[in-house]
This record gives sequence, structure tokens and C-alpha cells, in this order.
Amino acid sequence: MKREDLIQKWLDHALTPEEFEAFTQLEDYEELTKMQTALQYFKAPEVDVDAAYNTVTTTQKDTSKPTSWFKPLLKIAAILVIGFGTYLYATLPTLTMHDTVAANKTLVKLPDTSEVALNAVSSLSFDEDAWEEKREVNLEGEAYFKVAKGKTFSVITNDGVVTVLGTEFNVKQRNDLFEVFCYEGSVKVTHNDTSVVLQPGQRYLILDGKEFRNEEENLKEPMWIHNESSFKSLPLQEVIEEFERQYDVTVKAQNIDISQIVTGSFTHTDIDMALQSITLPLNLKYQKKQNSIILKRD
Amino acid sequence: MPKSLQDNICNEVMFSSFFKKHYQSLYSYLYYKFGDYLNPEDKTQEAFTKLWQNCGKVKPEKAKSYVFTIGNNMMLNEVKHHKVVLQHQKIKPKSHTNESPEFLMQEQEYLQKLQRAIGNLTESERTAFLMNRVEGKRHKEIAAILEISTKAVEKRIYRALSKLRQEIEEL
Repeated sequence: MKREDLIQKWLDHALTPEEFEAFTQLEDYEELTKMQTALQYFKAPEVDVDAAYNTVTTTQKDTSKPTSWFKPLLKIAAILVIGFGTYLYATLPTLTMHDTVAANKTLVKLPDTSEVALNAVSSLSFDEDAWEEKREVNLEGEAYFKVAKGKTFSVITNDGVVTVLGTEFNVKQRNDLFEVFCYEGSVKVTHNDTSVVLQPGQRYLILDGKEFRNEEENLKEPMWIHNESSFKSLPLQEVIEEFERQYDVTVKAQNIDISQIVTGSFTHTDIDMALQSITLPLNLKYQKKQNSIILKRD
Repeated sequence: MPKSLQDNICNEVMFSSFFKKHYQSLYSYLYYKFGDYLNPEDKTQEAFTKLWQNCGKVKPEKAKSYVFTIGNNMMLNEVKHHKVVLQHQKIKPKSHTNESPEFLMQEQEYLQKLQRAIGNLTESERTAFLMNRVEGKRHKEIAAILEISTKAVEKRIYRALSKLRQEIEEL
């Protein structure tokens, strides 16, 4: 057997007695034995296994099974849901709503003491929490604003936006009519990307998509505030609709041209007087039947 | 692999027998690999404590590689912190003194050479070699502990022996 193989076998502690005899005859034998003896000094010290065992086993044991992957995921999901929900709740605009029904007017005080008079069948809403940042109200119908001085005040309607700094003005937005009248200060009206600035006494009117601008008499306040509706160069149709809103009735016009332009006014307090002030100038007759009124030619 | 009765190592009897079988073995492994300086005993204990604490998550057949891996990683972390020269066990003076002072001196010299040569081996060579020579473990057993092939163990040990002989001769 070769010398190298013997050493290999010696290293594996696998020498047979005969092989060991051969190994002792090797010239390396003495040197290897010397090293082997010396190496025993490098033996790892004995550790006190029992003492270590006691130390280890007195520590707290965690016997829990490995947790499945979706449990931590559920926690994360729950946090997200709560967080998102809180965020939505905190940031959702909480709109304050004011509505009026037919034959009904109301006065609304805004958070900054601005006043809004709401005409019949109208609705006004605004976000009270965001009022400090932006003075913004949504309007459907007709309202008269007395705006306290401060930041830009905007009235948003389906037909356009009216912005002011502090002034008095009336906004009327009905089916195919959009009318802004400025009583004090100046008012900016934005409609379909075009802007118009109104000075006191000026009127801005959109009727059936057509724009009109004209000067009006110097009124301090809109007439409807004082229970009277006034019209200037408006179709009879508008007058009838306003009448219906003020008295909560339905008006039928028989054989009458409701598109004819009229100027005039009617009171909100006396239905007969109001009907007369509408029918007399036009030579019309009227019939009252409970909640419906029929207008006829004379 | 035979299916074990327990799916973890929490059982007291099981843990105890595992502990007694492998505690000294892990300690020696770390000692040979990294020397005494970095406190292999602490690391051994920590590794087994980890196993004890997480026994529910460790299958019995994985327990050995679990403690060896943890012990080894802990030592490596320690090595990162202290870049040190390996210092093996201080050579103890012999109790009997019927040898000549000259012989004693020669022997001391030889041991010092051997110590330096061992320190110069690579970690893997030193670990395998000392387990083999000092602990008297056979190649197969070392292969099982280190989770490498018998052939690789054989090569490492033989290479370590050659290096040692060469270096001692040179000095």
C-alpha cells in the first residue's frame, strides 16, 4: 500500500492492524505522531451541557405554529380600511342644505354673517367646514345675497358662476333663464367661459341661451324681498312660472301666446290682486278652481 | 426521509436528547472554526435558546442545521465586529516534570509553531482537521455535521495536514 493511501486511511481512523503496522514503518510516522499528540492541546474545552440545558430551558418558549400568510395581511388591510375611512369621513364635505317649497321664502345666515334671502322653490347648499378657506354656495332657484366683506364669494349654479368680494346682488336661475342683478359693489358673472363684471344697477340675463345686458332702475333691493315679483322685458312664460311658485298653484294658459314679452309686477300677498295685475294689461280673463287657474282670452 | 412522530422539537424528552447530543458538538465546531476569543460557548447557548424559544416552528430533522446555522451566523456577526487573530487554547504546562528543560523548551517551541500554523489554515480546513484529529471523528461524521460530501472533508483534512507539515518545517 502506498504511503499516501496509508496516511489518508490514518486520517480517517480506518487503518486495519496490518495497515497500522505498515504505517508505523513510514518515515513520516514519528512526525505525524508528534503532531497528533501535540494537537490534543487544542481540544475544545468541555462545556457543562447540563448547566447550559437548564439555562436554555428556563427561557420562555414560543410554541405557536407558524402563522399563515394572510393574518398579517388582514391586519394591514384593517389598518388601511380604518385609515381610509377616517380620511374620507374627515374630508367629505358636510353640506348644509336650505330648501324652500312653493309659496315659501326663507332667510339664511351664512357662517360669516352674510345673508341670503331664498325665494320660493329654491335650494341653497354650502360646506360649513370649508367656509374659512372658500366662501362658496351652490344655488338652484333664486336668491338675494348680502355678502359680508372678505374673501371671494362664489355662487355656483348650473348656468354659471357669480363671484364677488362683498356686495349685494340677486341671482335667479330657472329652467332656461339665468339672471344676475347687482345692487351694490361689483359682481363678476362667469357663463360658458365668458366673464362679465356688473356694476350697481346692471343686469345680466341669459334667456334661451341668448345673452342680454341692460341697465335697470336704481333699486336698492330686489322686489321679491318685499313680496312683489317684478319683470322687465321677460316672456309671459316666466311670469306664469314665478306665479306658480309664489302661490303654489298650476296655471293653464288657453290660446295665449306665452312667449310675448311683458313688463310688470305682482304681489305675493293677495292672489286676486296678483292675477288682476297680470291679466288686466294683457286683456285676459282668469278662472280660479281650487289649486288651478285658467287664463283665457277676453 | 422517515416521517417523524412530532412535527416540531417542543417535546421535552426530544429536546433534551437533541440538546445532549449536539451541544458539545456545536460548541467544538464553533471553537475550531473561530477560536476561543469570540466566546463560542455563549453563541452555542444562544443558538440552543433560539431553538427552544422557536421550537414550534422547527421540525426535528431540521433542528441540527438550525442550531448550526444560527451559531455560525452569530459567530460571523461577532467576527465582523472584531477582526481578530485567532488565538487557540493556551498551552497548559504539563504536571509531570521528569523531562529535561531542553526537551521542554523544544516541545514548547513546537507547540507554538503548530499553533501559528493552525491559525494560518482556512476556517474550513481548520474546522474539519481539528474535528478529525482532536475529536477523533471520522470523515463521514464530519461530512454529516458540515453538510458537505465525504470527499470534500477528506480533501480539506489532507490539505490541512500538508500545510501544517510544510509550515512547521519551514519555521
